[in-house]
Amino acid sequence: MTKVYGSPAAAGRDERPTGREVEETRGAVNDLTFLVPAGKICVLVGPSGCGKTTSLKMVNRLIEPTSGEILIDGVGVTTRDISDLRRQIGYVIQQVGLFPHLTIGENVAVVPRLLGWPEARQRERADELLALVGLDPSRHRQRYPSQLSGGERQRVGVARALAADPPLMLMDEPFGAVDPIVRERLQNEFLRLQRGLAKTILFVTHDIDEAIKMGDLVAVMQDGGRLAQFGSPDQILANPASDFVARFVGADRGLKRLSLARVADLSLLSPVTARPGDDSADARARVAADPLASGYLLLVDDEDRPIGWIGDHDLPATGPLATELAVPMSPLLEPETTVKDALSMLLDADVQAGIAIDNDGRVLGLVTVEGIGDLMREGDRVARSQRTPAPGAGGHR
Amino acid sequence: MIDVGWIAGHLGTIGGSAWEHVVLTVVAVGVGFAISLVLGLLASRLRWTYGPITAVTGLMYTIPSLALFAILVPYTGFSLLTAEIGLVSYTLLIITRNIVVGVDGVAPEIREAAAAMGLTRRQQLLRVELPLAVPVIMAGVRVATVTTIGLVTVTALIGQGGLGQQILLGYQLQFPTRFFVGVVGSVILAVGADLGLLRLQRWLTPWERAKVG
Repeated sequence: MTKVYGSPAAAGRDERPTGREVEETRGAVNDLTFLVPAGKICVLVGPSGCGKTTSLKMVNRLIEPTSGEILIDGVGVTTRDISDLRRQIGYVIQQVGLFPHLTIGENVAVVPRLLGWPEARQRERADELLALVGLDPSRHRQRYPSQLSGGERQRVGVARALAADPPLMLMDEPFGAVDPIVRERLQNEFLRLQRGLAKTILFVTHDIDEAIKMGDLVAVMQDGGRLAQFGSPDQILANPASDFVARFVGADRGLKRLSLARVADLSLLSPVTARPGDDSADARARVAADPLASGYLLLVDDEDRPIGWIGDHDLPATGPLATELAVPMSPLLEPETTVKDALSMLLDADVQAGIAIDNDGRVLGLVTVEGIGDLMREGDRVARSQRTPAPGAGGHR
Repeated sequence: MIDVGWIAGHLGTIGGSAWEHVVLTVVAVGVGFAISLVLGLLASRLRWTYGPITAVTGLMYTIPSLALFAILVPYTGFSLLTAEIGLVSYTLLIITRNIVVGVDGVAPEIREAAAAMGLTRRQQLLRVELPLAVPVIMAGVRVATVTTIGLVTVTALIGQGGLGQQILLGYQLQFPTRFFVGVVGSVILAVGADLGLLRLQRWLTPWERAKVG
């Protein structure tokens, strides 16, 4: 099998081996060739037993390939010293595999320590990374893995993989062992991190939704490690290359394309807002004047973080607005949340609008089912115009 | 029955016996641990050696102590060496097996993570596998130590024996007090050693305590 990873420069020089490798014996992975541009997330997705984890483990040689080549920036992995190679590749797995006898700080500093960094710098780096993945270093540094929740452990796993700033990361179902809510949050956080880090990432999952959400590129694999399709998530959803891909992607692939759009892509409505203590009469007037407000006022705190809704029938005629008037919250949606998840949350909560918030929790605007509908229709137009209708190929349905 | 006056008048003698008992035990368990560590690591690395190692140490474990000393005396005499050879040979099976079981018990994902982080084979063993095996290894050391403290009394028959000397003399002289002192002293040593090793184990494995907190 052959795989190539490299920087755009390497791709530009076209170091991709030409032709197919000869299949000698039928291994777990056969005849797999693709190239991951630097700084992108490439997701390997496929049914269990398709060889995606095997492919991943061949990159850092946890499994030695029996034939073929894997190149990182043009250098074959089998030509490099194995420990040296591994120290320069971040590795995150579903079971996390934190060392139970080391503190969180020591766990994160494992690779820096192997690389012989001075101790002060190891500690500094561990703190920096814990903060980066959203854990308070002073609270967590001295703890042991058994004292953390599953989600916290997974964050530490990511921090540990990033410790020596490796250009390439391998992630095997990294968010597979946590509940859906935590998974959603970890995925969003990781995408946010990746925007700043621009690592080259090879990411394995069996979950097509996760693949579509996380991947810049998606490699759909089928039995024997064969590549069924390689392309952007949108290409794969819009034009599955084979029946296998179409079936794997699922009958709801139209709906799945909702996963490609983020809350940040939606046009948001501006709610009528007020702060606790503001004059109620003025707020009433503003709600009444705005037809899109549907009679609702959004109460926000001094930092523009949402507190809750107040209906016009609950707004006192005069006097200051009290926090107690606000009723429970609509779903809060982060910019990275997919439109699909946003729609699902709106339907679940049985509300008209979700509140889009930025990463500091400040209100960005309102997400409505109508707004999502608009985006879908617009996307359909774009997709239809992109597909070139083959002459005489009518009656396809 | 018990002559308290004799005990009070012979604290020096009793203390000497107890000290001898401790030294015999510490040397036996220390040497036994060192040999077991080599055997255990060998068995962990070269799996095929585990069977023969278990067979030989198991055989040594089953030989009655009296018979073993009888076999050794013609070669090494009524000496400390004879006593230690016997005592050491009884610790090997327990400690070796616990080292292998302890190292084997390290979760596969932890091994995989260690390898993937770029730890060399040796670093994986010394920094990850052995530390994580400490609770199981220490359990073996505790059993071996308590067993050895009991066995030391038997070495009184070849002129060693620590508190075993008091038991033997008490029996020979029909003087129950000395017999009593030997038995109770030996039991106190065993319980004390077990508790001490438990504390050592807790100190060596701070992460185990953290689970509760």
